Amino acid sequence: MKALRIVPEKCTGCLRCELACSYMQTGAFQPAKSVIRVSPYEGHTSYAPYTCTQCDEGWCMAACPVGAITITAAGAKDVVDDRCVGCKLCTIACPYGTIFYDPDTHKAFKCNLCDGAPACAEACPTAAILYEDVAAADWLADFAVERSARLLAVGGR
Amino acid sequence: MPPRHLIIGAGTAGLNCVRTIREEDGGASEITLVAAERPYSRMVLPYYLDRSIAESHVFTATAATLATWKVKTHIGRKAAGLNPQANALTLDDGTTLEYDDCLIATGSRAVKAPVPGADLPGVHSFWTLEQARAVVAGIAPGSHVVMVGAGFIAFTILNSILSLGARLTLVEIAPRILPRMVDDAGAALVETWLKKHGVKILTGATLVRIEEARGKQRLRFKKGPDLLADLLIMATGIKPNLEWLQGSGIRMNHGILVDDHLRASVPNVYAAGDVAEGKDGVTGLPAVHAIEPTAMEHGRVAGANMAGRDVTYRGSLNMNIVEVCRLDVASFGAWDDPNAETFTGLRPERSAYRKLCWSGDRLTGAIIIGQAGDVWTTNDVGMLKGLVQTAVRLGVWKEYLRRNPFDLKPAFIASRATGQLLPQTILGRPSRAPEIPTTVSP
Repeated sequence: MKALRIVPEKCTGCLRCELACSYMQTGAFQPAKSVIRVSPYEGHTSYAPYTCTQCDEGWCMAACPVGAITITAAGAKDVVDDRCVGCKLCTIACPYGTIFYDPDTHKAFKCNLCDGAPACAEACPTAAILYEDVAAADWLADFAVERSARLLAVGGR
Repeated sequence: MPPRHLIIGAGTAGLNCVRTIREEDGGASEITLVAAERPYSRMVLPYYLDRSIAESHVFTATAATLATWKVKTHIGRKAAGLNPQANALTLDDGTTLEYDDCLIATGSRAVKAPVPGADLPGVHSFWTLEQARAVVAGIAPGSHVVMVGAGFIAFTILNSILSLGARLTLVEIAPRILPRMVDDAGAALVETWLKKHGVKILTGATLVRIEEARGKQRLRFKKGPDLLADLLIMATGIKPNLEWLQGSGIRMNHGILVDDHLRASVPNVYAAGDVAEGKDGVTGLPAVHAIEPTAMEHGRVAGANMAGRDVTYRGSLNMNIVEVCRLDVASFGAWDDPNAETFTGLRPERSAYRKLCWSGDRLTGAIIIGQAGDVWTTNDVGMLKGLVQTAVRLGVWKEYLRRNPFDLKPAFIASRATGQLLPQTILGRPSRAPEIPTTVSP
């Protein structure tokens, strides 16, 4: 099964992934509705995109009391809008912080790998986001540890 | 002869057990399900109350699903007695069911404050579907609804009551709201928020009597003026359904004591959900966590073990989340441990609050309050859960979080929590989607 591979060293912080993601998910260019999110490192000189790993447990899916989260053909855990009641159990169950909630529609939403053609990966101009036959992994920790010296030294943003 | 599994209770724990058995055995065993009510999800009743979903949406396993799962059912029947020596259950109609192993998942029921008048017909609980129907029928725009008890259950239906156009008063005997879900500072923040949104709140109010007053309910207090309610809901707690097990020989404390395989103290008997007192994954001590995620995990682990797997449960994580008037309120783990080192952050102008509880450089509990419209609040909710669940060492990030309790994400990512979480599964294998297992032939 293909998964998103993140190469944070290549990310330039252009936020095209967030725009593409929000457009694909909601039809609007609105980073606030993106389910991939770029974080700055080292005083905005480095960046790293963060999104759902489509983990084996599927904590969100198992927690849903109405079976509103299912597995798509692309292997992504996805929210079925018609079933979701907005109870937020998935937001508290997901230990990665990659579930989102729309207070206007009262629905949870998350990365669904765009049915096997992730818009973020297509939009990334530097191949920092790849969609490949690869196992889920922690792509960011080494990068984050290495590039957090300034944040820790300054003691805050 | 195929093994005979008996599941007592069709709530979250019972149905997850049934589904997991079928995922594991593909339909090879006999499953019998005893349920007092037609299976539905209590979690979604608040959305039935505010009419955002139809009543049909609350039902979980339908008769057709249960038939496809090859489950024999006794719906509308209650368990009356268990004889573990004979591997037999007696139902309230006298029927005896024999089993090779059984799961006790009889859940909880709502209890009313013991005051005169609490059993009057106009005094409602909101726990079962039948009770929800009565409340739905009793609220009209402009109604004055009084809820006695300002805990989690009351808060789950607060939005619904307001969205129906009712006026709402919360009455709480404790000096503050949400006494078992957030600390004093968090409660004060939520109380201010609710008052700003038009909810009347009476704390430290001791109710002494309820009287019928021409179709309304009059609440009399130890001190202060009476309240007149068009609809009165008692949300004063829940109690596990264990009385029917008296004399069974099963060891019980607050709930049925279970081991790390969800086994009770007598052979061939498992327990799950609100009736089970199992390992708390944070403290390592036995605890009843009467919450949906624990019922789900208990049910799945018990089901896998009943199906012949050997699955050890790592323990449950106490956690709750509720949104009131677009304010998210959540807590995790040992957030109320008086001995823990704690960091707090308060931003009253944003109605945001964080509390982080520590053992060394590991997070053992947390409270998070923030506006639902703030995207990062929802993400932080999950990351806090991940940090408490993994108990990952935060090292130098602990000091960072002392000064920046609202900036969780860099700490989460650098903590390598993701790498610890990825191999973690409840059943030692990837979870399946909630559809009916395809291997079961109807």
